[in-house]
Formats: sequence, structure tokens, C-alpha cells
Amino acid sequence: MSASTSASHGPPAAVADATGPAAANAAPSVTAPRAIALVAAIEIAGALFLRQFLLAEDWRVVVGLLALFGCALVAMQARPLWEARIEAAFAGQARLATLLGLAIVLVFPFVVEKSTYALHLLVLAQLYAVLALALNFQLGSANIPNFATGASYGIGAYASALLALNWDVSFWLALPAAAIVATVFGFLLGVPSMRTRESYLALVTIAFGVVIHQLLNNLDFTGGPNGLVGIPAPELFGHSFASPLVILGYELPSQANFYYLSALLVGIAILFARRVHDSAVGLAWNAIRADELAARCQGINTTWYKVLAFAVDAFLAGFAGTIYAFYVGFISPDNFTFLVSVTIMTMVIAGGMDNTLGVIVGAFLLTLLPEKLRAFSDYRILFFGVTVIAFLMIRPQGLFPQRLRRYGA
Amino acid sequence: MPATAAAPVVLEGRNLTMRFGGLVAMAEVDFTLRQGEILGIIGPNGAGKSTLLNIITGLYRPSSGSVHLAGERIDGLAAHRIVGRGIARTFQSSRLFGDLSVLDNVVIGRHAHIKSGLLDAILRRGRAQAELHAAAEHAASLLKAVSRDLYAQRHRPAAELPQADRRRLEIARALASEPRVLLLDEPSSGMDDADTDALMADIRALCAQRPDLALMIIEHDMRLVASLPHRVLVLDYGQKLAEGTYEEVRAIPRVQEAYLGRKGARHAHA
Repeated sequence: MSASTSASHGPPAAVADATGPAAANAAPSVTAPRAIALVAAIEIAGALFLRQFLLAEDWRVVVGLLALFGCALVAMQARPLWEARIEAAFAGQARLATLLGLAIVLVFPFVVEKSTYALHLLVLAQLYAVLALALNFQLGSANIPNFATGASYGIGAYASALLALNWDVSFWLALPAAAIVATVFGFLLGVPSMRTRESYLALVTIAFGVVIHQLLNNLDFTGGPNGLVGIPAPELFGHSFASPLVILGYELPSQANFYYLSALLVGIAILFARRVHDSAVGLAWNAIRADELAARCQGINTTWYKVLAFAVDAFLAGFAGTIYAFYVGFISPDNFTFLVSVTIMTMVIAGGMDNTLGVIVGAFLLTLLPEKLRAFSDYRILFFGVTVIAFLMIRPQGLFPQRLRRYGA
Repeated sequence: MPATAAAPVVLEGRNLTMRFGGLVAMAEVDFTLRQGEILGIIGPNGAGKSTLLNIITGLYRPSSGSVHLAGERIDGLAAHRIVGRGIARTFQSSRLFGDLSVLDNVVIGRHAHIKSGLLDAILRRGRAQAELHAAAEHAASLLKAVSRDLYAQRHRPAAELPQADRRRLEIARALASEPRVLLLDEPSSGMDDADTDALMADIRALCAQRPDLALMIIEHDMRLVASLPHRVLVLDYGQKLAEGTYEEVRAIPRVQEAYLGRKGARHAHA
């Protein structure tokens, strides 16, 4: 175990005296049975919490659940050792955690009482999770303030919808095609952006987003402000995604089709994010985030890596856009405004920069929260803002902040 | 000390001039650096010492003149390419990747040797991981060689290190690219005498371990300049004022003037 080796090397007394992160780094050992119990308990509790939150009708229940979540955050913040222990348990039982997580995702639609609304929210939350993971490559890993993720999302949606409507291209072909189109646009945005940095870079991306929105609004072949209507539902082996999904005699609403599809996309995006984060590319992005000039002097081609981050962001956003277009069957420019980009950015910041889990939790929270606060009608957005700010006050680095990498030894 | 006069020239600058608009930051400076040699660069603030380093490392492109590494011209190459050719540097105000671990800082220093890119990371994970782990192992052994203390702290964020360790880490990071030439920009700045002594011991140990490494040190601390470099080059107002051993250079009146002012120089003579 990595924990025991690092302990046996033993930092000198002067180092051991240092508190805080140093203490957290000496990863506490958790016995296997305990770790298994801990992982299972946390995952099941998380799933139960999400279920109750999704199905809660009464605003008092919603507020109660949010308070519970807040308490959990306070506890984590106050007891770094617990957090380290949980982390060690998940690291030690990675396979179990993945398999159990997968099982929960597969079973989840069966436990939401066939609520189409709950499933709809889950589809949206998962698409936003993919978008947030996409932006995380830039904002989280490389600190590039890209305000155009919403535009890439829109480009993916429009590209696939146009392919389907004009040339009868099937969803399964439109999916990669739209991602490639979005990536090309990502490069188109990335290359000129390299002439600017920081706030100016942010301005360039905002302008790009606005230009795309205006083009979609004014071009004829994109349907102008009316958008594109009648995008056909995907089919797989003769099963239309518009019809209910029957599994082992149990009938799920048609949204379940898209639930599983977007869950698959989230899975791919997580795999993608993990692999890139744990590679020399992720490390190079982190170096650029910390000090661009120093990164150049370590042999990192900063321009290329920054453009690459734009391309990766657009690629994943293009996928999400395609699924969205085929899911709702009708898209218009107003689905892909500047505000969408800002929301995605908030998800990354609130969830935790450069932390895959954090970004996903951030996406779920920020998608579900405004829906669940509908009881407050006119004050809904105010409550939404207050809640997010409160969570950020408890966890200033985001719900799940970035972690130091660890190698085998 | 080995006689370095016979060793081949590794790095050479010819006629280097740097203009920023109307300001001439460097005018027709020549220098040579031989294998295994330590060259000290001194001069008052604004003399052009850092400009020279920035030209060599490709951060600036000289207005005229050229830089040659082992006979090949390198001026005009991008900074990240020059690292790959074998020139590494540290910075005056230490520029570590503070939110990354000590070990990661050194792994990033090996970037020029890592071949796998984004597609490898996604599609050929095994290969990319093997390469990164090899880099991490190399980095760990390098840290151990530079300082045991630093090695013990390899999983801490670099920002938490004390000043002396930060400077050590910067040197370790620069060495990770396996350079032929190492440029140190005021390594002792912000250090007390004890730390400076430790630094000098580190540099001596480094030169003993790597006899072929050529070093260029910008320094203000005259204790260090007096004892470490084989040769000293004096810059003032972007021009080369003098060049020679420390003993030779300090006797030159114009050097004393540049450092002490005209009046001070007269006192020094008296």
C-alpha cells in the first residue's frame, strides 16, 4: 500500500510538525472491511439523497435536505482527517466503488416512481455534468477562462440536427460528426485567443459565444430565431427512443432511454477526464495554470496545450449538444446563450476546480437546485444564489477541491 | 579546479543587442561558456543581466546578434524548444508550481523528454502511464540526489516549502531536463548567510556530480561570486564592462565605479 511505504520513509521531525495538508498527506490507513463498508455506505447514502431530493414536492423537505447537505460539508471541512479517510477508502477500493456506482446508475430509474420529471432533470443534469467536465479541462486544469462552452454545445446540437433533418443522417453517425464540427470551431476559437490572455481572453470567448448566438439567430439554414423543429428520436436495433423502455417486464418512461444514453456519455467523459488528468498533458495544463512563463521554460509548448484545451472542451460539448438536440427534438438559439456558459462555469467553480467528482456534483446541484426551489416562485433565483454562496462559504475551494497527484511510490 | 580553457565551448553569444523601442537593454555583448565552466554575471540593477538570460532561453528574440549552443544557432527558437536542446534555467523570484507537489514540479521539468500526447493518454493509456511513472521515478531519484530533506517532502505542495528548499527544488526541476547548460538567476536572493553557504555547497556538489555541466550564475552576493565562478563577466548599462577572473575584474576601476559610484571607487583605491 502506498500509505504504508510513505509512512515508513518517515518525514523528519521538522516536517512532521507541520500541520494541515502535511497531516492529510500522510494518508491514514483504513482496513479493507471498513473501507468496503465506508464506500458502500457513502455511495448508497448519496443515491438515496439524490432520490429524495428529486422526488421532494414539499419545499420544507427540499430545504431540509439542503441543510443536511450543508451539515455534511461543514463536518467534512471541520474534520480533514475524516475526509482523508474517506478518500483513502475510495482509493483502496476503487474497483468496488466503480462497480457499485455503475450498479446504482443502472438501477436508479427504477426507484424514482416512474416520474418523468425526475428523469428529465437527471438527463439535463448529466448533460451539464459532461459540459462541466469539458470546461474543467480549461478552467480547472489550465485556468483558461472560456465563456464559450455554451456556444460549442450549441454548435454540436445544430450540427447534428442539421445533419439529421437535411440528410437523414442517423443519430449514431451525427454524434461523432457533430463532435468533430464542434472541435473544428474549438480550434477556430482557440487559435486567435492565443494572442490574448486572462481577462482579454475571456472577452474573446464571450464575443465568440455572442457571434455564434447571433449567427444561429440570423442565418436561414439554422431556422433563425424559430430554430430547428422535428428532430427525429434516435433508434437502436429498432427500438425508438421516443417509446417507453421495457426492461424485464418493468416499463420505464421514454426519458429513461436518454437517461441511460447520457449516463453512458458521462461515463465516457469521466474516463476521458481521468486519463487526461493523470497524464503528462494534465500535468502540463496544471503547470500552465500555476505559472505560464515557468511552464514554457520547462519545455512546455504553452500555445499548443492551450489550443488543445479549447479543442477538448469543444469535443465533449459537441457530444452533449447532440444528445440534447435529439432528446428535446426542438432547438433554438436561446438554448445556447451566454448565460448557459456562465452556468457551466459556476458548476466548475462551485463543484471544485480540477476535480472530476466535484465538477459532477456541482453540475447536479446547479441543475437541480433552481428546479427544486420553484416553490419560492419569484424569489427562486435569490434562494438559488444564497444557497450556492452558503456552500462556497463552507467550502471555499469548491465542494471537492483539487487533490495532489500520487504516483506508485 | 580543472583547467577549463581547453574544454570545448558549449554556449556562445555573438554581438547580442536587444532594443525595446528606443531603449537599448543590451548592446553588442559577446560571451562564451565552456563545458564544465562556471561563469558569473555581475552588474548593478538594470545592467542587462536578466535580459541576457531571457535572450539565451528564448523568452526574448535578440534585435541582432546570435546565440550558439554547441555550434548550432538557437536564437529565434521558441523557449520550449530551447529547453529540449539542453538549456535550463531558474528564476530570480522562485517560480515554482506552488499548488503542485514537490515531485510533480520535477516531473514537469522532464516534460521535454516525454513523448506521449493527448491521444496516447486516452487511447494508449498503458504506454502514457509507463512513461509518466518512469519520469516520476527519475524525478524522485533526482530529488534524493539534490537533497534528502526535499525528497522526504516530495508529496507536499511546493508552495509550503521554506525559501532555501524552494531554491533547491528549482535547481532540481531545471536539472530534470538533463541540460548541458544551467542558468541560475540570482540563486541567493532573499537568503541569509547560512542559506547562501548551503547553496554554494549544493552548487559545488552539483558540479562534482556533473563535471560536464556548464553553469552561468547571475549574482549580487560577492561572497558567492568570489568563490564559485571560474570567470566573471561584468555588465553595465547593457554593455560588457569587463571579463576575467574575480581577482582581475575587481581591480578594474570602471567596475568599481559601476558598483560603488565614482566617489566610492576612489575610497576603495585609497
